[in-house]
Amino acid sequence: MSRLLQVEHVSKIFGGLKAVEDVSMHVEEGELVALIGPNGAGKTTLFNALTGVSPATEGSVTFNGVSLDKKKPYQVAKMGIARTFQNIRLFHQLSVRENLQAAMTHRYKEDFVSSILRLPTFTKKEALVNGWTDEILAKLDLSDVGEMITANLPYGTQRRVEIARAVASDPKLIFLDEPAAGMNPEETADLTDLIRRLQSEFGLTVVLIEHDMSLVMNIAERIYVLEHGKLIAEGTPAEIQNNQAVITAYLGGGIHV
Amino acid sequence: MTKKKLQANGLWLLVMIVGYLAINLLVYTGVVDSFIENMLVTIGINIILATGLNLIIGFSGQFSLGHAGFMAIGAYATGIILQTVPTVGGFVGSIVVGIIIAIIAAIIVGVPTLRLSGDYLAIATMGAAEIIRVVINNMKITNGAAGLFNIPQFATWPVVYVLVCVTTIVIVNFAHSRAGRAIQAIRDDEIAAEAVGVNPTKWKLAAFVLGAATAAIGGSLHASYIQTIAPSDFGIMNSIALLIIVVLGGVGSMTGTFLAAIVLGVLDTVLQSFGTLRMVIYAVALIVIMVFKPSGLLGRYEFSFAHVLNRHKKEDAA
Repeated sequence: MSRLLQVEHVSKIFGGLKAVEDVSMHVEEGELVALIGPNGAGKTTLFNALTGVSPATEGSVTFNGVSLDKKKPYQVAKMGIARTFQNIRLFHQLSVRENLQAAMTHRYKEDFVSSILRLPTFTKKEALVNGWTDEILAKLDLSDVGEMITANLPYGTQRRVEIARAVASDPKLIFLDEPAAGMNPEETADLTDLIRRLQSEFGLTVVLIEHDMSLVMNIAERIYVLEHGKLIAEGTPAEIQNNQAVITAYLGGGIHV
Repeated sequence: MTKKKLQANGLWLLVMIVGYLAINLLVYTGVVDSFIENMLVTIGINIILATGLNLIIGFSGQFSLGHAGFMAIGAYATGIILQTVPTVGGFVGSIVVGIIIAIIAAIIVGVPTLRLSGDYLAIATMGAAEIIRVVINNMKITNGAAGLFNIPQFATWPVVYVLVCVTTIVIVNFAHSRAGRAIQAIRDDEIAAEAVGVNPTKWKLAAFVLGAATAAIGGSLHASYIQTIAPSDFGIMNSIALLIIVVLGGVGSMTGTFLAAIVLGVLDTVLQSFGTLRMVIYAVALIVIMVFKPSGLLGRYEFSFAHVLNRHKKEDAA
């Protein structure tokens, strides 16, 4: 195992509010790590800082040996970090197939002249891209809805398409921001299976934000707990379940008589 | 798959050639007089301008109101060059020069303004077009507010027809390629597009520049067909007239742009006998269409021979 992501002393300050304060964490290649914490703990803010959406105020992030500081989100994505969003952000006027292909634009080149004149090189590239798309659609059970406009799909399927789109950008590391939010138990079970497959079948490293504790405890290999922007605990699911600081954060402190 | 695509492309080619021959025949037999020919050329030029604008507004989602500015650049490039070199070569050269200047102007305008969106971008691009107009209004070479006249006429209807086909092919093929998927992704959700490796600045600028280049072609044809141009021909109302074509046809539908340009062109010509009532009826027609079809005549529908062929195959099988 080698270290894929190294986060050192990252802080994100909005005016007087320290949303994320001095967080250091690491993710090994092939790991499945969860990031949990009460609402407003700064989990999504940390994701945004790591992916360049809103850069960290302090600290440094290294991915695969390369610094991510001052990298724009699309540059971070090209380096191999994909993400999904807490509130689904699909390209809603496009079909599922086009959503996936829009995520592949950095994986191949297509020059202006050959695409305008529809030269053989263009046809070959399009066939290649369609092949990649078919493969991902088949693996994620989305072949049936491939040509549907994503705005018309049910919620659970939209979540799945968003994960498929992240996979389509050919990442090494994938950030999932509350993938089970709003799902019924059945859909959550499917999702659990899907996340496991991302790790085993696609060889991805997964970092997961989630409130559904049964899901987290079920699949995470290691858990980080964030509260009020600070890291309060780190460990295996069993360790976290018995950690006093975590219990206090979620359930409140004991009553001292 | 590829065979079907070839069939569809062949059909399009057939449509283009048949269209050309049909109009030629009608002109030859005298069914199409100079009055109707004028209408056809105006429709053609409007199609060139509006498809470019639809690429910017409908596909890349940027609300630009500066199209007339880029049209003016093409028109003046052709006007000035044709007055000194009144040959076919001069005409072709002037279109190329117009495109190049429009591209440079689009980059200068686009880099700072394309980080804006919605109404703010509309105002910024409107301002940029106004700057272009005012500059032309105050230059010696453009003959100031009086404009240029007696520009030799090279933009006959066959030239316009061919250029309508060429610009449409370029824009539609651009929209259905890697570039098209990138700009549509940015239109739907810029943050998500960036998160999957799409550089928004680059692709937005690409769509804007291509739209500006086609506007310059439209301007060149306008100058050489009408033969008289003045800065007041390229004001904000002209940008809005093009916007009306795009919105009426359906934002994001090239077929709709064609249909709207034709409907409005015919309406405009038919109503000429109504005199002053013309603009009233025109406006009422617009309101009626927008009330009953708010997403435009065709919405986002796109006519495609490939789909028609597919449907045919399925029906045969059934």
